[in-house]
Amino acid sequence: MWTFLLKRILVAIPTLLLISLLVFAVIQLQPGGFLQNMLDDPRVSPETVARIRAQYGLDQPVWEQYLGWLKNIVLHGDFGFSFLNNRSVSSLIWERLGWTVFLAVLSIVATWAIAIPLGIYTAINRHGLAANLANLIGYLGIATPDFLVALLLIALVLSTGGSNVGGLFSPQYIDAPWSWARLGDMLGHLWIPLIVIGLEGIASLMRQMRANLLDVLGQDYVRTARSKGLAERVVLWKHAVRNAINPMISLAGLSLPNLISSTIIASIVLNLPTIGPFLYQSLLDKDQYVVMALLMLSAFMLMVGNLLADLALAWADPRIRYE
Amino acid sequence: MRKILWLLVVTLLGGLALAQPKTISGYDSLGVVNGKPGGSLTLALSSAPQTFFYYGAIDSASEALANQLFDGLIEYNLKNYQIEPALAVSWSITNGGKVYTFKLRKGVKWSDGQDLSADDVVFTYTQAVANPEAKGGDSENLAGVKVEKLDASTVRFTLPKVAPAFIQYMRLPIMPKHKLLAFSQEGGKPAAEINNAWPTSVDPKEVVGTGPFRLVSYTPGQKVTLERNPTYWKKDATGTTLPYLDRLEYLIIPDSQAQVAQFLAGNIGQLNITGTDFPTLKQREVSGAPIKVVQFRALFGSPPHLAFNYDAKNPELAKLFRDTDFRLAMQFAVNRKRIIDDVYNSLAELPGNGMAPISEWYYNTTKLLSNYDLKAANAALDKLGLKKGADGIRLLPSGKPLEFTLTYGSNSSTFSAIATILQSDFKAIGVKADLQGILAANLLSTGRSKDWETILLALGDQPDPELRTPIWKPGGALYYWHQSTFPASEGGPPQFKNFFPWEKEIYDLWDKAASTTNFTERKALYDRWQAIFARQAMVIMIAKANSVGAVSTKYGNYIYDLGVIPGYYPVPLMFQR
Repeated sequence: MWTFLLKRILVAIPTLLLISLLVFAVIQLQPGGFLQNMLDDPRVSPETVARIRAQYGLDQPVWEQYLGWLKNIVLHGDFGFSFLNNRSVSSLIWERLGWTVFLAVLSIVATWAIAIPLGIYTAINRHGLAANLANLIGYLGIATPDFLVALLLIALVLSTGGSNVGGLFSPQYIDAPWSWARLGDMLGHLWIPLIVIGLEGIASLMRQMRANLLDVLGQDYVRTARSKGLAERVVLWKHAVRNAINPMISLAGLSLPNLISSTIIASIVLNLPTIGPFLYQSLLDKDQYVVMALLMLSAFMLMVGNLLADLALAWADPRIRYE
Repeated sequence: MRKILWLLVVTLLGGLALAQPKTISGYDSLGVVNGKPGGSLTLALSSAPQTFFYYGAIDSASEALANQLFDGLIEYNLKNYQIEPALAVSWSITNGGKVYTFKLRKGVKWSDGQDLSADDVVFTYTQAVANPEAKGGDSENLAGVKVEKLDASTVRFTLPKVAPAFIQYMRLPIMPKHKLLAFSQEGGKPAAEINNAWPTSVDPKEVVGTGPFRLVSYTPGQKVTLERNPTYWKKDATGTTLPYLDRLEYLIIPDSQAQVAQFLAGNIGQLNITGTDFPTLKQREVSGAPIKVVQFRALFGSPPHLAFNYDAKNPELAKLFRDTDFRLAMQFAVNRKRIIDDVYNSLAELPGNGMAPISEWYYNTTKLLSNYDLKAANAALDKLGLKKGADGIRLLPSGKPLEFTLTYGSNSSTFSAIATILQSDFKAIGVKADLQGILAANLLSTGRSKDWETILLALGDQPDPELRTPIWKPGGALYYWHQSTFPASEGGPPQFKNFFPWEKEIYDLWDKAASTTNFTERKALYDRWQAIFARQAMVIMIAKANSVGAVSTKYGNYIYDLGVIPGYYPVPLMFQR
């Protein structure tokens, strides 16, 4: 087990290096110089632009920029600084991490807590009315882009005279200290992002779980279990669901990087204080070290997620052993 | 002890007697009335501020905040953009326009209680504005200018040569020396260190200004909160100290649709909108929602133009694009009326040529802009020998079809709509334009590259043409449609050999206008330039949008505020009913 873990970590290092190289190349290939766009401001002359480029180190060869960035991470744990904010990337990410993790964890938990039971239910009662209704909602959830759902919900709230149309708080509570009123205000806002972010996830997870379970329910060993005279409850939960849920664990590992990169558009539309819109803006502004740091973080989380999923699989499935 | 108390009283009284508040009045025609103190207002910012130090970045959010936190030596009249005293109570211009002497207003205090002094002004201009490493500085325009303190309340600027628009740079916000010295060269730091002053993680108490509001808190990526500066130096006609509002809050909302939603939900008190949002909001106003949609003719703002690349890579196209007759022919196919009606919802006017129609510098070129007339366009193109081919597309002399790319900002609803209208009208006269959408933020850098044939671009209008020299004076850094006039080496003279005679004439007009401060003389020279601009259709101006804003009826004294213009400060007049 420990050798497996060590191996995986050792493999992760060159992979991350390769990804960082790729990401850096992609940023460099992006057309347009963000500094030149400042020229419309009467204060800015081409000489100023050249000087700022030099301040950022952008006048150095690309490979030197890359190696310098890498060196600072390895030696000082410094992920570079944001051109636009003149501050360290890590402090900027840190400022936004809290709400991002909160929202992501909450929506992931909600998604799974709803999707898995629904998947099981629709698999068992595949011809029932409720199951068909759940399937229909699932189809709609998959077919509708999340930002559209967000816009529809905003329109709905507006037409009913509500005022919680984006963000996580009403303006007066954003910088207020925690209180029951603030918590209540947040709950009044939270349901929109949860539906928007969660709906698509619920729909796809539910369908996945349903398909897996139907598959397993048709297996010989389930028939054997039934013919042994086991209670249907035991057949279902001990034999069928436990086997059907294995692929879901792998899926869960893949969803970890969603913390950063998923739901960017929905977050912009809903004005959520998360990292997604920050990444998007940094991409537009070619704020290269911010983009690098965020995409690397995303890649890192994908690997960690995969590793965790593999470990969880080994724990859940006695057939899998990494020796 | 008693002595000290007496001293204190005398100083206080002396301070009061010396204070020179500015009374804001005379805006009745803008609907301004005497307001009532108290209340709060929430506005929107389209992006998170990058810094709280104005000279540390070119950033619209930082600029909008700086306008509430700081003041310049002078400011604009809100009605006619004439220059008025602000932190400077008076000034004189002597020595043929080369020496500017400013007397500071007495009794102005920084929000931490310190007195404003000439040292602050000298510090701001020498350490920030003229600092070539300051990202939001203006070192080129302050090059060679000597800034001196004559006494505690007098500052003198000595210019190396006459600069007629110099007074415009005196709108820039004055910064507190006692808070920023540690980041400056004067304080022993490298020049670039000034950019590190007041990052967004700074303690709000450090951000000290003379403006109507002061910083209370910043929640990263979400909200900036300001509160009333009780010692502000402006009063209304009845003697009430401005601003009226106790609190001013900014919500950071990048998406314009989300801004509109927040406004309709009552979470934002006032919003600057575009013609595209106008119908929805106006309809709500008419049906009784507690909002008001207001429009103002705009001095600032960026009117779009259509530019042809005189140096297009395809030599045949370049030859055509350089031909004034061709550009004039194409102008016949520009349906300005339809664009104004459909794209701007009639909230726009015919454009000026380089100056906004509301500007005192504007020369009326509407007769030279030509009306939409496809027949005339066809006739003019026929005359140029561009015969139509079998598929209705005109042919170049080489027999290839007359086809070019039209680059526009695809994430701007205005630009996309204009590009589509142009494309369909061009098609009707046998000219094939292939739309090429790019991010609006990348338009200028694309225009300054060689990779375009025609482009739809917008550059900002300014109150004095001199401020836009890099755009309109041939060979300037933003004279991007004729790049072969760019200096051969950086900082060198333009390549005169590639000038057209009319470009040389414009060049000379601008040279002459920059060497005199006489308004009448300058006006005559710039009039002539605008006429040539229009006659040559140097670039084809499309339309000048009005400024449109929506405000909740809870608030009074609303005057449109672009937010990023130093010297234009209407917010202190707003009040909550």
